[in-house]
Amino acid sequence: MDRASQPIYLDNAATTFPKPREVLAQMIEAYTRLGVSPGRGSYDLAVEAEELVQQCRKKVASFFGAPDPDRVVFANNATDALNLAIQGLLEAGDHVVATRLEHNSVLRPLYHLQQSGLIEYDLAPFAEDGFVDPSDVAELIRPATRLVIVSHASNVLGTIQPISEIARLCVERGVPLIVDAAQSAGQVPIDMDAWGVSAVAFTGHKSLYGPTGIGGLVITPSLDVRTTRFGGTGIESMSLIHTQTFPHRLEAGTINLLGIIGLSGGLDYLLAKGMDSIHRRGVELLTRLRDGLSELEGVDLYCAQDLSDHVAVLTANVPGLEPEDLGAILDVDFGIAVRTGLHCAPLVHEDLGTSPNGGVRFSLGCFNTVEDIDTAIEAMASISKHKKR
Amino acid sequence: MIEAKESIRLVAGKEVALDRNGFLKDPSMWSEELAVILAREAGLDPLSESHWRVLRFMRRYYAEQGRAPLNHEIKSGTGFSMMDLESIFPGGIKDGARRLAGMPGLKGCGGASMGL
Repeated sequence: MDRASQPIYLDNAATTFPKPREVLAQMIEAYTRLGVSPGRGSYDLAVEAEELVQQCRKKVASFFGAPDPDRVVFANNATDALNLAIQGLLEAGDHVVATRLEHNSVLRPLYHLQQSGLIEYDLAPFAEDGFVDPSDVAELIRPATRLVIVSHASNVLGTIQPISEIARLCVERGVPLIVDAAQSAGQVPIDMDAWGVSAVAFTGHKSLYGPTGIGGLVITPSLDVRTTRFGGTGIESMSLIHTQTFPHRLEAGTINLLGIIGLSGGLDYLLAKGMDSIHRRGVELLTRLRDGLSELEGVDLYCAQDLSDHVAVLTANVPGLEPEDLGAILDVDFGIAVRTGLHCAPLVHEDLGTSPNGGVRFSLGCFNTVEDIDTAIEAMASISKHKKR
Repeated sequence: MIEAKESIRLVAGKEVALDRNGFLKDPSMWSEELAVILAREAGLDPLSESHWRVLRFMRRYYAEQGRAPLNHEIKSGTGFSMMDLESIFPGGIKDGARRLAGMPGLKGCGGASMGL
């Protein structure tokens, strides 16, 4: 492979790459023109910059079916947003239900609070096909349960969880549901209002086609998230008490204007291209990849029998080959970039029997082509054949 | 199989610390004697000219650049594809070649870097 050229990029679940030129152009243009501190000064540029931020809040609220743009709180990424929610909602004695599909963005904050003696939590299992049974989640809810948190789409298996059904059960039990939409936002529709979801944590740099460093927490007005970070907000500055007005209640310090412009541009791009058509195309390519790999001897696939409720993610292994080495071979010998290891979801790999070294994840984005997929299949064929010798 | 705990080895009169994955904690403590011992423990005895070509390239690169070579640099510097490199070293590329060459463990999302 010519190193000067780009590899075939199949690590879009980590971050989509490349970013659409339109998004990058919009970022440069708007930040060149308005790159001042939004929501602070009263000069026109600052007011205009703040208007960009508010427009983005409205777009995000509309995108997730949330009723109030002021409850769109910007954060660095989904992990940051989940921390805002988890730390801002839980109190001593609370119980949480999550699933074994969760990313460390959920597992680690919960474990930290449990180890601090503050909370308890239980994790619902996932079945062999990679899906959580909503009734398993409901069964774990007890009187002290303060929150249910579920990953909408597994970042290892790609399985899209039945969130609307889980939400219905949570509403029935009177427990707020937080959806980790890191992998699903931009791939499949999310309707907080219709489903009864209390909060969505999202990141901008994956399937929303924005840059890294921007994400957010979208919450319904009934969810009373406490402030856990304190500082300047541009309002109520005389008071030493951090404002309780949303969104500033959960935003301390100057926000990431460049990231917000990029997120806004990414949403425009996504809506112009059509989320549904991007997703359908992704699943078509995923199916081609799955079909090609499943014909190979010496390649293991996980939870890929039925791809109808999947985002474009597929995890594989070549028995006898360390996933990290398989990734190195794909990268250097075949020019294909994939993600290896545990994907920050150690319990998923534990349950798949692929712990501690994990697997190799192929994740597709809107710029991948049939040729990319066929090259990946040919590469895996060569590698598995070589390994068998 | 790589040890799951840190260890101190005595090699040519010097104490050498290995991390829980068997990687040198201080790459400057590498020696050819150590490589021979680690290779033998991995079932590789003796190290062939091909192995030494890879190990010496990595050591030279590390001395000159102050960091471990990227995989594509190993390929261009040794002439071995990753697939060939994986097959000639027990343990493969990272746990075999890189470990025997005393390179620092790569950061990644595997069990090792997660402290599991």
